[in-house]
Amino acid sequence: MLQTLFDPAGDFNAARLVLLSDWGGSTSLLVGLVAAAVVALAWYNTRAQPGRRRGALVALRVAAVGVLGLLFLQPGVRLEHQSRVRNHVVMLLDASRSMSLPGADATRLADAKAMLADNAATIEGWREAHQVDLYALSDHARPVATVEAIEAFGDATRILTGLSEVAARFRPEDLAAVIVVSDGADNGALGAGVGGDELPAALVAATARLGAPVHAVFTGPDTAPRDVAIVDVAYDDFAFVRNAVSIEAAVTVSGFEGLQVPVTLRRGREVLGSKVLQTEAGVTRYAFDFEFVPDETGKAVFTLEVGMGPGERITTNNRRQFVIRVIRDKIRTLQVVGQPSWDERFLRKLLKKNPNVDLISFFILRTSASLDTTRSRDELALIPFPTQELFEEQLGSFDLIVFQNFTFHGYNMRQYLRHIREYVRNGGGFVMVGGPLSFASGGYAGTEIADFLPVELPTSKNELVFTDRFKPVLTQAGLRHPVTALSVVPEENEALWKGLPELTGVNRVAGVRQGAQVLLRHPSRSVAGEAAPVVTASSYGEGRVLAINTDSTWAWDFRAAGEGADNRHYYRFWGNAIRWLIRDPALRPVRVSSDRDRYPLGAEATLLTRVVGPDYQPKKDTLVRIEVVRSYFEGGTPKEAVAFAADGRTDEVGELMTRYTPTEEGAYRVTATAALEGGDIDDRDVFVVAPDPVELRETSARRDTMAALAKAGGGELRALGDGLEKLARTEPKVVKVNRRRDVPVWASAWLLLLGVLLPSAEWYLRRRWGLL
Amino acid sequence: MHRRDFLATGALGLVATCGTARGMGRSSEVGIALLKHGSGYDARPTAVEQLMWEVSKRTSVDVRERPGLVSPDDPELFEWPFLAWLGDGPCEPFSDAQVKRLRRFLRSGGFLFVDDLAADDRFDESARRELARIWPDARLGPIDDDHTLYRTFFLFGGKGQSPPVRAYGRTARVERLEGVHFDDRSPILYGRNDLFGAFGRDDLGSWHLPVVPGGGRQRELAFRLGINLLMYATCLNYKRDQVHTVEIMRRRRWKVSRPPATR
Repeated sequence: MLQTLFDPAGDFNAARLVLLSDWGGSTSLLVGLVAAAVVALAWYNTRAQPGRRRGALVALRVAAVGVLGLLFLQPGVRLEHQSRVRNHVVMLLDASRSMSLPGADATRLADAKAMLADNAATIEGWREAHQVDLYALSDHARPVATVEAIEAFGDATRILTGLSEVAARFRPEDLAAVIVVSDGADNGALGAGVGGDELPAALVAATARLGAPVHAVFTGPDTAPRDVAIVDVAYDDFAFVRNAVSIEAAVTVSGFEGLQVPVTLRRGREVLGSKVLQTEAGVTRYAFDFEFVPDETGKAVFTLEVGMGPGERITTNNRRQFVIRVIRDKIRTLQVVGQPSWDERFLRKLLKKNPNVDLISFFILRTSASLDTTRSRDELALIPFPTQELFEEQLGSFDLIVFQNFTFHGYNMRQYLRHIREYVRNGGGFVMVGGPLSFASGGYAGTEIADFLPVELPTSKNELVFTDRFKPVLTQAGLRHPVTALSVVPEENEALWKGLPELTGVNRVAGVRQGAQVLLRHPSRSVAGEAAPVVTASSYGEGRVLAINTDSTWAWDFRAAGEGADNRHYYRFWGNAIRWLIRDPALRPVRVSSDRDRYPLGAEATLLTRVVGPDYQPKKDTLVRIEVVRSYFEGGTPKEAVAFAADGRTDEVGELMTRYTPTEEGAYRVTATAALEGGDIDDRDVFVVAPDPVELRETSARRDTMAALAKAGGGELRALGDGLEKLARTEPKVVKVNRRRDVPVWASAWLLLLGVLLPSAEWYLRRRWGLL
Repeated sequence: MHRRDFLATGALGLVATCGTARGMGRSSEVGIALLKHGSGYDARPTAVEQLMWEVSKRTSVDVRERPGLVSPDDPELFEWPFLAWLGDGPCEPFSDAQVKRLRRFLRSGGFLFVDDLAADDRFDESARRELARIWPDARLGPIDDDHTLYRTFFLFGGKGQSPPVRAYGRTARVERLEGVHFDDRSPILYGRNDLFGAFGRDDLGSWHLPVVPGGGRQRELAFRLGINLLMYATCLNYKRDQVHTVEIMRRRRWKVSRPPATR
């Protein structure tokens, strides 16, 4: 009616009475009290008047006060043109990897997309009153523009997290409904909590915060798929070289009976172990453990694989790839000494003080020629020399073997020498320290030890040692070699070597083996026309060998102290030697490393290459080629392909940063090749691109999870075939005012006239009736 | 030592196969230097030679028989990691420079055995005074029965407790050796039973001095202690960690494959 009276043109669609005055509440209250008092006063002072007169006077007073009240409060009519704001229908479409598993028709995600396409008209119809927002749900809810943009790459399903994020984004009054389309294979709190009689408290709380109905649309097969799955692999990211490593795996089998498939562990392509999974009635979970001993440091990609069952459609969980970084806990050093000596004493002190060295020492304290004056062997603190244990059973456990003035003769060791040669060939470090029982004097000429020594041993027994004092001379090779680097500055290094105390005695050799580097030489003695070597280094197979043809390096410790110097050069020399012998990664001129061992699909890998020169200082502006090779399986057959290649130059600090985004799953090998003066030198690293295995651990779709979600959210549980029609939605509550106009009712001349006439009429009657 | 044992040693030496060993010069030989200070350093002639001869016959050590004779100021001091200070009477204090040099010698890896040859306490008082100056960080104290010295070659206090742990020597004035401990070793050991007095012989093979209370066993045990001293100086605590080696390897779960077959 108001609208009809005040908006005859129909420009507005709402009208209501309002007070246009801006008096405060206390003022209005005070005015109301005054008005009541004025009326009460009229009632009181007319008590002696006859009823009709009294009634007329009071009525006039009330009317006058009423008219003045209206003028005071300024009533009006507010005309508005209003429109309703659309609230939101939030649709969460599961984009986790489990949605890539088989559904009723195609994959679960494809089935869901088809349902949404079929219900496009329904969704379009919602848009009149609601805004439809689409989110891809995995570990978080991420807004997406179109259904087509959603792919099943998510590494987790966290429905409650998604609901919480929706609640944080929308006020309850802005939500019409939340629709979750999923296979229900939640691997967060929801999946773990559903199953009892009561709804999980976290679910109830999450849906309550939304303030709108939550509907669950289930996609997926109702029956568990026939599947053999690696559901768990337990391993340590780090392992210690030459320590046994255990890898435990759990495999579940569903839908197969009488199945027999292999379970295989590989490092690269090398099979480390293989077992057979034989299903048993009533058993779905099977445990396997593998044990192996890594024999070299560095990162390696391991693949655990279980065979497929006949007709198995889900194959992505039959293989698990991971990286284990094999490190050295301590440098396991075997020191074998032919006789106690000062050289042995100071080297032992050095090795024992080095916190990175785990030392096993065996000293020959007496020989078969030694006199025994004891009544029984119990009076001697001697144990047999455990040659078989050391050189056959435990040999591979050592990083470094030191033969210090030791001859193998007399200990039935001849048959173990070939083991030592293989140990070195396979990557072990070996150093022979001189003395009267060492090199040719130890009878090593013509043995398997001589095969890998950097020096050639004379076969004659004449003049096997030089006994004079001398100061060794640093060779050109020694000037920059890591073993003899007492300083990184070549000139300073040379000066330091010249300042060291003299040595005494050198084991004579017949020559230097081809490829070996003489680092220190005798200043005056020569062999085969060349200066007699004192310290010589070489490689043999994967291993490294050092020949120190003297037993007097202890002079660099003890005698140096006597000359007022300190022993740091002795420690530096032996420290360098040990690091070089064990191939300390820090000594590599080229090193490449990825910033992570495992990347999810689509993540960017950062590859850092560091290059140092012969002086171990950063080498800038060096050309480096980066090549990334992907190893993958195709139909069960391992294959390799170059995935990325790039050239670059190192910066001021000798580093090259390369970024690369792998787009496919698999094991990746990075090779960085730097062009250095001595030729190309490379280094390698590995990483894996793989989804988080948690998503494919459980392949069953879970209707119970979706049912609980709908129940807690006060919505409906629907199957894909049920479509989206008639899903309950809250109507929009929020109103938007497009324009407004206030029509003041009090601003009328009639009202003003009444405001004058009514008091005047009362004054007139009171005077006439003798009340004034 | 019995003549029969000596002959047996010679015979074994002849059949030993590693007969190519030959010294690499003085640096590779293990010897003992006598500290030239006070009186007594020359009071036990041929003692070091006889001890080293025994060492060479009973152990694998390549010895230098003749002792060195060095003062604390001697440039040769650091050629001799094993220093023996023999004294039979009071001595003058070391100069401050000498104290400093001896301290450097010991801290750098040298070993000092102090042998009190006297029948009274006059050397003992001087020695304790000077050792306190040289090694102010710790006082001399009896070394434990399980000290590596007692198992470094000959066993003392082993099975059946025979021979017992004692400070063997020519006399039997005190029961225990004393020492100071530093950096997992004892750089100073001190005996008061004239250990070196039990070693010396004349050219005819007769002992220079009788052992007290007496007996060939006492002299033999003195030699064993002397040999252990030399082994301790050269091998440090080798014997201590060797007895744990098997346990160490087992506990650390070292496990390896056998080396691959060779061609």
